[in-house]
Amino acid sequence: MNEMRIVERDVSSLENKIEARNVQVFYGDTHAIKDVNVDILDKTVTAFIGPSGCGKSTFLRCLNRMNDTIDICRVQGKITLDGEDIYDPKVDSVQLRAKVGMVFQKPNPFPKSIYDNVAYGPKIHGLTRNKAELDEIVESSLRKAALWNEVKDRLQSPGTGLSGGQQQRLCIARAIATAPEVLLMDEPCSALDPIATAQVEELIDELRSQFSVVIVTHSMQQAARVSQRTAFFHLGNLVEYGETGMIFTKPKDPRTESYITGRIG
Amino acid sequence: MTDATNLGPTASPARKGSLLVQDARTKKRNAAEARFKAYGVAAITVGVLALVILVTSILGNGLSSFKQTHLTMMIELPEAKLDKSGTRDLEVMKKVTTIGYAPLLSNALKAEMEANGIAIDGLSKKDIDNFISKEAPATLRNLVLADTSLVGQTVELKILVNGRIDGYYKGRVTAESALLDSNVSPQQLQLADALRDAGLLETAFNPGFLTMPDASDQRPEAAGLGVAILGSLYMMIVVLVLALPIGVAASIYLEEFAPKNRWTDLIEVNISNLAAVPSIVFGILGLAIFINFAGLRASAPIVGGLVLTLMTLPTIIISTRAALKSVPPSIRDAALGVGASKMQSVFHHVLPLAAPGILTGTIIGLAQALGETAPLLLIGMVAFVREYPAAYSEANGLFGEPSTALPVQVYNWTQRADPAFFERASGAIIVLLVFLLFMNAVAIYLRRRFERRW
Repeated sequence: MNEMRIVERDVSSLENKIEARNVQVFYGDTHAIKDVNVDILDKTVTAFIGPSGCGKSTFLRCLNRMNDTIDICRVQGKITLDGEDIYDPKVDSVQLRAKVGMVFQKPNPFPKSIYDNVAYGPKIHGLTRNKAELDEIVESSLRKAALWNEVKDRLQSPGTGLSGGQQQRLCIARAIATAPEVLLMDEPCSALDPIATAQVEELIDELRSQFSVVIVTHSMQQAARVSQRTAFFHLGNLVEYGETGMIFTKPKDPRTESYITGRIG
Repeated sequence: MTDATNLGPTASPARKGSLLVQDARTKKRNAAEARFKAYGVAAITVGVLALVILVTSILGNGLSSFKQTHLTMMIELPEAKLDKSGTRDLEVMKKVTTIGYAPLLSNALKAEMEANGIAIDGLSKKDIDNFISKEAPATLRNLVLADTSLVGQTVELKILVNGRIDGYYKGRVTAESALLDSNVSPQQLQLADALRDAGLLETAFNPGFLTMPDASDQRPEAAGLGVAILGSLYMMIVVLVLALPIGVAASIYLEEFAPKNRWTDLIEVNISNLAAVPSIVFGILGLAIFINFAGLRASAPIVGGLVLTLMTLPTIIISTRAALKSVPPSIRDAALGVGASKMQSVFHHVLPLAAPGILTGTIIGLAQALGETAPLLLIGMVAFVREYPAAYSEANGLFGEPSTALPVQVYNWTQRADPAFFERASGAIIVLLVFLLFMNAVAIYLRRRFERRW
């Protein structure tokens, strides 16, 4: 479990999904993100690591404009999704979030049935024409989230009654039910036990075939296990970004080395 | 805490002594805790005692108002007196006023006395006339006008007796007090006892207390809460229909959509202050705006309802905002995360979770409004109203007919001289309390029913 297994994969042939240029984020007077440039590849797992408060979650929330809900938060710079500026005034954040799904740190299923949890996204986006199609989406999403076999007999029981790991996979199923192109995960395993964590990690690896996944994690082992690319944030700066193997074995920046060897953090 | 400050540079002294013996510090702490518990128990005892005294005094004074003394008599309805023309023409028959009906009742009582062999020394004709309630002739007249075929027949009828006679069976009037009282004579009390022995007079449950309108000072036995209950009901409908949607919409906007700036802070502070404004101020406001400026009719439930709406709004807004605040933000994030709009996240997820709190707040606000008296006094709902108000009428519009309200009726009755009205005021308080208890029970039920854990 704790071994530093490095996932070696060739990712050079893939296209950029998200490009961030000179991104600055302010919370009131606090400069939380300083001049971040990053390219996130399609069909790749990208991990953001760094000590607490370094801005990795803040930056993640910029990618689907969840920061819009915080009044004092200001974002500058340019973030594009498939070449389109997501902070363009013409962009509706609701449409954006349908394309860029998000899974949160704490499992937060709606206090509704398992079925309704997954069906909610497709319903509000009008992705289905009838009940049969909706059933199909719910089943395929739950299957992709590796939860179908555990819940297929109790789709109408409340989602909040599941165990922590199941709840988090339900949240993942809910996020992928809207057919997003990018899946953002904000420390998805921090509230889970090791077995549930392993299940979710396995799932993330499978999701890579269809989505671009960005994951924020506190655990360097997890970043090493699931990601192909890793970005190291420190005090609001993007210190180093590159292939996961390179970051963990031959970090260029002394701060990265200090962090992964446990001297800062 | 103090332990830490005692630690000098010379290290802490080693703790000695047995665990089985309490040291001075522990004893002091335990004593402080025991004292605090005693304060708590004392406070609760005082509270419970106050409640018990309140409830027993009200029940003791008021329960008897649900019972009333009735006299059952055979009453002759001679055609010669009631319909001289013999045509049964209503217009003609209406010319016979209650004064024409009163002798029929006195005669009937005399006949019953003869039939049962009751003879009482010193019983004057006035005593016999006054034995029967002044309300009874009107009751009889209404009965005859409603069914003219009764004329010429002899009907058996249960009629009210004078409030003093009723008081005799409720302990308010005794033979001694009757001697000093110009309204009742000891002979009347003897007559009452004799009629009771003959099985004609009985004190039984009186539904009229809940259905009849108010009555004048001279006839407390006929006074009821019918108009007051209707008026209160109409006002509650107005309050519910206006305050709930306005209050909930205002709270949702302020809590979920409004930007946090100086203006919303100002509004927030003012809403909190509004909740603390004395209710009589709202009465003045209602008088100035709804009656003098808007020209609505005084004493109308619609005006009372509007004033109470203004009073209830802050309560509903504050409790609704608290309910919305208590919904975990992770639910909002979850909804936004799957691409719901702000409004969808509020209406699909936040509002259902906040519903029990909102309903509880609303019902508590309504209960508060139901018991409110002061503002209603200022908009004329204290008037003496005999006619049942209609919910809608051509002339007065919706809820526009004069009416009164339960708490105002209590206030009104306590102002009257006859002690029988004091009993009825306590009875009205019981009715009011039953309504309040019922509403609170509904609030608790709804909370339990809809509350979800997450």
